[in-house]
Amino acid sequence: MSEKITVKTQAKKFPPVWPRFAIELLGVILIYLLTKETVDFTGLNQRGLAIAKQTIIGLMHPSMKLILDPSSVGLGHMLLETLAIAFLGTVIGIILALPLAFLSSRNVAPVWMTYIFLTIISLIRAFPAFIYGIMFVKVVGTGPFAGVLTMAISSVGMLSKLLIEAIEDMDPGIVEALDAAGCSPFEKIRYGIIPQLSSNIVSIVIYRLDINVKNASILGVVGAGGIGASLIHAIGQGNWPNTSAMLLGLTILVLILEYFSTKLRKKLSVGEY
Amino acid sequence: MLDDLLHIFYPRTYTLGNGKQVKEKFNPAPYIVIAVVLISLYFMNICKVDWHKFSKNIANFFTMLDQMFPPRWEFWRELKKPMIDTMAMSLLGTAFGSILALPTSFYVSNNFHFNKTYLGLHRGIIAIFRTIPTLVIAKLLSTTLGVGTLAGTLAITIFTYTIAVKMMYEQIETIDMKPYEAMESTGANRMQSIIYSAFPQVRGYFWSTVLYCFETNVRSAAILGYVGAGGIGVQINTQLNWRKYENAGMIVLVLVITVVVIESISREIRKKLVQG
Repeated sequence: MSEKITVKTQAKKFPPVWPRFAIELLGVILIYLLTKETVDFTGLNQRGLAIAKQTIIGLMHPSMKLILDPSSVGLGHMLLETLAIAFLGTVIGIILALPLAFLSSRNVAPVWMTYIFLTIISLIRAFPAFIYGIMFVKVVGTGPFAGVLTMAISSVGMLSKLLIEAIEDMDPGIVEALDAAGCSPFEKIRYGIIPQLSSNIVSIVIYRLDINVKNASILGVVGAGGIGASLIHAIGQGNWPNTSAMLLGLTILVLILEYFSTKLRKKLSVGEY
Repeated sequence: MLDDLLHIFYPRTYTLGNGKQVKEKFNPAPYIVIAVVLISLYFMNICKVDWHKFSKNIANFFTMLDQMFPPRWEFWRELKKPMIDTMAMSLLGTAFGSILALPTSFYVSNNFHFNKTYLGLHRGIIAIFRTIPTLVIAKLLSTTLGVGTLAGTLAITIFTYTIAVKMMYEQIETIDMKPYEAMESTGANRMQSIIYSAFPQVRGYFWSTVLYCFETNVRSAAILGYVGAGGIGVQINTQLNWRKYENAGMIVLVLVITVVVIESISREIRKKLVQG
């Protein structure tokens, strides 16, 4: 430390600024080129803006007739169907995911077996959900049942990934202690494994249910039930009062679910039942 | 044995040696299981679940998969343009959305003491927009602005904005405020203090958020073609409806490879960014 410290010597120690500027400039040029290449702004003219204004005015007036309609084409039934697809999809998903997760956790199954099941899980995960949707519609026909199957198989990937983390985090000491006390395998599972995992599993399932309700609302586009088909149809027709009513219902449903799911998961992770 | 089974539903009472009675802790799990089963049965009725039909036709699913692979490789030439469109849409949407989100996320964090009413209002609007699926926003935009990639880009921009602002302000509210206070006490104004003391603390997290949004957007951009918002989505439906399964297989393959490659690269970078 014989050298004198001045502003100049300290400033020289900082990394040069120009590489960052160069990267930023490159980014801006790339964005500009891409915009010119792919996006055409022909829609953004006077006519488009006029239509947009009409749309916004239309969206302010939700159709009360659709909201209060109790029949099977009313808003209530559509939302219930969406919720049902998400719920059943999550239930079937967790039933499929539990054995897969146990068989691919290193502390339960042998290592060679975990590789096989991890590969199966990533193969299931690789397909986008809407491709499953189209395929299941071809298998069981249009309707909510195809949606349930799609939800189930597209939840398996994420559910089992989160479950594997929970299972691999388990404390082996508890099961060893039960073993030392002479418990049967059934008792070991009941008193050693289930209490450790139950709150984690419930938390994971609620989290996925929350996501699935959002996903179930777009499945209708491929003909797999839920609110999506009628919503897209109403927008295509320019039926703004109905669109607005459906968007309102969907938003309220998702917000309520999000609120309860966050609250419950916080409670579960803090540890009180 | 029967007694044991019945005690699942209500807690046992033990009498200790000194005559004191001790009650077991109440366990709600069996009631929750019964409720879930009942709700499932009710929902199965609504969804017209038909396992008989499922078991009869599930073979079709695997026949379809079998016909998809091996795919028809020459179809790649027709896929190039929609695939580039899809990528460009998600890239541009992510870029615009996150550029807009960066200043706003500081403005709606409650540790810089900006206007509280505006803060609550902005967060509420973002929460509402977050519940509407990207596909629906894209459909709305494509009917008003015309069919094309513009609608898709704007829809992705809106989605990125809502999710990025939420993730960012949650992170910004946890930063260390001492450097900020120190800068303010030396006479720097609020913007200077934010840029030089608050932003560097969340810079890594910001890039990680951008990458996460890009990952999600590539997945969702693939389906936007369905509602006339450009990209690869419209192709797969056409090919499946014409029963050209080997072409559909090529689309699936291209999509899967793109998504997996982007996801694994971005996951690696994000791991580095968060750990510093």
